[in-house]
Amino acid sequence: MTDVAQRVECRWCRGQSPATATTCTRCGAPLDVRNLVTDAGWRQAPKIRDLTEVQAGASRYQLDGTVVPVAEAELAEGDTAYFEHHAMLWKDFSVAMTVMDTPGGTKRILAGMPFVLSVAHGPGRVSLSRDGAGELVVLPLDPGVEVDAREHAMLVASGNVTFSYQKVQGLKAMLAAGTGMYMDRFVATSAAGLVILHGYGNVLQRTLGDGETIDVEPGGFLYKDASVTMAIDTISLTPEGANQGVAAVKGVATRGFAALKAARQLTKGGDGLGGLLSSGGLQAAAGVFTGSGMTLMRLTGPGRVGIQSMYLHHETA
Amino acid sequence: MSDATAYRCPYCRSESSGTDASCPNCGAPVDVKIRTTKSGWTELPAVADMAKIQMGQSSCQITGRLVPTADFTLAANDTVYFPHPSFLWQEDGVTMDAMPMRRAWSRMRAGLPLVMLQARGPGRVAFSHDTAGELLAVPLQPGAAVDVREHRMVVASGAIDYDWIDSGVWFTTSGGNAQDQASGMKLLKMGLDVAGMASGDDRDRSNEIEYHYPLGQYLDRFVARDSPGVVFVQAGGNAFIRDLAEGEQILVKPPALLFKDPSVGMQLHVEFPGAGIKLWRSWGNRYLWLRMWGPGRVALQSLYDRLEDPGTDFRDACAYSQQKW
Repeated sequence: MTDVAQRVECRWCRGQSPATATTCTRCGAPLDVRNLVTDAGWRQAPKIRDLTEVQAGASRYQLDGTVVPVAEAELAEGDTAYFEHHAMLWKDFSVAMTVMDTPGGTKRILAGMPFVLSVAHGPGRVSLSRDGAGELVVLPLDPGVEVDAREHAMLVASGNVTFSYQKVQGLKAMLAAGTGMYMDRFVATSAAGLVILHGYGNVLQRTLGDGETIDVEPGGFLYKDASVTMAIDTISLTPEGANQGVAAVKGVATRGFAALKAARQLTKGGDGLGGLLSSGGLQAAAGVFTGSGMTLMRLTGPGRVGIQSMYLHHETA
Repeated sequence: MSDATAYRCPYCRSESSGTDASCPNCGAPVDVKIRTTKSGWTELPAVADMAKIQMGQSSCQITGRLVPTADFTLAANDTVYFPHPSFLWQEDGVTMDAMPMRRAWSRMRAGLPLVMLQARGPGRVAFSHDTAGELLAVPLQPGAAVDVREHRMVVASGAIDYDWIDSGVWFTTSGGNAQDQASGMKLLKMGLDVAGMASGDDRDRSNEIEYHYPLGQYLDRFVARDSPGVVFVQAGGNAFIRDLAEGEQILVKPPALLFKDPSVGMQLHVEFPGAGIKLWRSWGNRYLWLRMWGPGRVALQSLYDRLEDPGTDFRDACAYSQQKW
């Protein structure tokens, strides 16, 4: 009699694990978790058990801690992992380091993004953590899968995941989105890889159907499948029944004020060129385009969308 | 017959009967499955809410999970001391005095509190720190000492001596920031300087010396001399502790160090990653580390302040080691 190996599917990453596994061998999510979703369809990121291990090729990643979690990479010989250097917590003395020039270097400098990413070379351990209370999101990527993440949300990625960036389309979107000019794009090209993101507060995920849309506060956006498209939705906050002429004048005045504020931010200087175009200036400039409206990110399926519940601006450049 | 030293707390290493739900010295749950990462860091088991720690006639209860508070019930004439920002509330019977520090001028320059306050029993008094994370009780037996990162101490029992030592980890760079040096901004500022039009940030500061203390200028040192006591330390986020064997060494991000045994040696270590473009000096082409070696224990916090490094060459520095990949 042939023994057919039973598999259990992870509701989180959709990967399969042996039926005997209690946690997903690919993303570490508990497999016996009740698949609770909110009425709106958001699923809370699985509470990854403390000290859970995740396999990525020959390397292993252990996730430690619950308040400000730590990802500890145990890199096999020849394996690499990359990250922003200030996220390093500790490392073995013998782990060699190189840097990876990111595509579009100068543009990234202007955007206040890291110009180079640090690369750790196995064998050995390197440990990483972010600067705020939150949760880790483990995203295993199968070949061909593409994921976009908020800038600076990446904690660590395995070396076989290709890193690029996606410019937020449209000047207005770029200025108003609140996510910065770029989103990191991770693509597993030839082999399966792993990306670990850090979300502030709690992380929630929802899968959008084909053509289904949702508006998300730009600061709360954390990641999305590349198949999910993004646009900017501006909601005018003109009070109902208000005199349209007065509202128009007010709108022009608001824009003028925003332009002045933007100009002031841009002339402040002090931080060099990068500082001139950093978020303060961009956000002020955004007012020129949006006036007194409210700007939201409109995401259209199909695909996954991840949000974070705490989105105060953190200076993590 | 109960054996008073049957249980050795895996976290604080003090001995007790092991019959309570939590260690009477540090509040860690008894019989907890030891949670150690593969690399050897033991994660502090979260102190059980309402855990009680006995200190002579006085006791302390740790309450809360996100930003825990330490509620003391002080016996008559028992004292605890603390920096004033950690004070939360007290009852009427408790009296407060100032505990002056030596070398006040140096402390002021380093941004450390000039005086510690001392609370004297009988009565209740409570403390907390303004950081989300674990509140650690570090019990010290007579003769033992611990070095704690500055601004991390919440409160300590009066039996423990307080001192502070130079961290010995520092370097200096020329004034101005690296981006100014790299761009044409430096020339512009020099021009403004010569023309007498410079003010504030416009001045050419390249002749000024900037001091950097990746670990803080000082470390708090707590020593138990004749009697045991407890120091309460707030970790940002989660706390991890590890024993380094004699000569074993690791690299630690300087702001992540929480406390260490005085026997653990440390030195500034500069690492240069391989390849990359060397021209842009401030974009991650050097890493500042604390090289630490045993024997002794080291505790880290997972939430720490960002380490500011201007990325420019050292003008002067403490003894340091370096590695170029």
